[in-house]
Amino acid sequence: MKPEATHALERLMQALLGEIAPAVQPPYRQASVSIQAMMLLAIREEFDRAAARRVEENRALRMLFGDAVKTVTDAQLRERLATAAASDDASLRVPELEAGNRTLRALLIELHTHVEGLESAEARRIEAAIWCELSASTERRKLSLGPC
Amino acid sequence: MCRWERAAWHGRGAACQNARAVSDLERRLAAYLAPRLPGARAVEVSGLERIHGGASRETSRFVLRYEQDGLCLERRLILRRDPPGSLIETDRRVEFAAYRAFHGTSVPVPEALWLEEDPAPLDFPFFIMQELSGFESTVPKLLSPPYLQHRAKLGQRKWTILGEIAKADPAQLGLVGVMPPVALDSCWQRELAHWEGVLDEDELEPQPIARALIRWLRRHPPPPAQKLAVVHADYRTGNFLFDEQGEIRAILDWEMAHLGDPLEDLAWGLGAVWQWSRDGLAGSLLPKADAIRIWEQSSGLAAEPSALLWWELFSCVKGQGIWVSGGREFQTGANQDPVLCMSSWMMGNSQDRAALALLGRLA
Repeated sequence: MKPEATHALERLMQALLGEIAPAVQPPYRQASVSIQAMMLLAIREEFDRAAARRVEENRALRMLFGDAVKTVTDAQLRERLATAAASDDASLRVPELEAGNRTLRALLIELHTHVEGLESAEARRIEAAIWCELSASTERRKLSLGPC
Repeated sequence: MCRWERAAWHGRGAACQNARAVSDLERRLAAYLAPRLPGARAVEVSGLERIHGGASRETSRFVLRYEQDGLCLERRLILRRDPPGSLIETDRRVEFAAYRAFHGTSVPVPEALWLEEDPAPLDFPFFIMQELSGFESTVPKLLSPPYLQHRAKLGQRKWTILGEIAKADPAQLGLVGVMPPVALDSCWQRELAHWEGVLDEDELEPQPIARALIRWLRRHPPPPAQKLAVVHADYRTGNFLFDEQGEIRAILDWEMAHLGDPLEDLAWGLGAVWQWSRDGLAGSLLPKADAIRIWEQSSGLAAEPSALLWWELFSCVKGQGIWVSGGREFQTGANQDPVLCMSSWMMGNSQDRAALALLGRLA
């Protein structure tokens, strides 16, 4: 058995914060080292979930797009949504998942803008679903050190 | 030489280079200040040390010593120098003017002394001001004894002083002309357009929540500003100096100051992203309703709830603009301060959550 990456990052953070930072001068450098320790904690959290949260979010966005296709009145946007809904993550490598996520989130902005301009009950339903997804997206990205 | 030894050697080399750079800067500072101190001789600068202070300037403290009229004099000063990259791009002339305008008023600020916009003396534009030493500014200090017991008093002072800023007449302060004017009914448009532009330029990834906010803000414009006020624009816990008796000794970081709607400042300071104490207290100091009441009493202005909500949501767009800009600076290498990266990760998401909470959309 070997130490997990998350464990190693946590230990590095503890060493930086508890042992190294107090010995660093001047105070500006000390604060900078402390921030780097906090970054290691954030990296530890992100390392643990990096692929999972992107896979989960990309899947949720594709489902949302598939659900929204019949409500959208712009033919070009409808086609792009349908294409995105039918797509899949080709790889589980984080940079590729992230690239896919950015494409999907850019399309989400277009969809959100479009449905805001529609007056049907169905548009309101899709809009509510978008807000739900946006809320979930902040939960997926939440860091324990954040103020809220 | 193995990899570890090389790293240590590079580390020692960097430390030596840094010491040489500090020494060089001290020498150049002394050369700059000497002709600006009439009758002074043996002008010497020492103890130059970088400190945290504001998002858009490198801030350092130093000691200035000189002889004048047979006396040996010493002054502790602050150097605010433009860095190559920062969280926000701001005009140092405006910041300098704001310090000058409020010095000696009911709004406590350090005395601003010299402004230099020519990069020749110190490589970048800069200004120098008085150092107020012996006080604290950080949130961890605020949330620890002996300061913790004074949070309510500090909150009272914080929002009273903000009311004083809102009440002040920019023309009487000499700030009209230094800060671009804006019509009362256009304050919101100018600020929103500015921060939308920052997002357009600097975002590294799509920002669906900030973009939704911008559309909401345009669909629900606020009423015209009640008056044209000086807006500090980063008035939050962390940007003032406080003492052990719960008194605020100086309001700092005027780098984004401008003329605008006074509700902008009130809303910014109430933001959930500044509630580090996680106990629901605005600025980790007071209940939100108390903060608003104190500000209304001090300013003589009203914080109409729907107008205040508009500015609170706007603050989330502005905040996201700041975090996104810092992230880009770090990503491109323009500024390697880790606080920029950390802010981009942590504050960016918290800012989105704060926005969703204000809209009643946070699950």
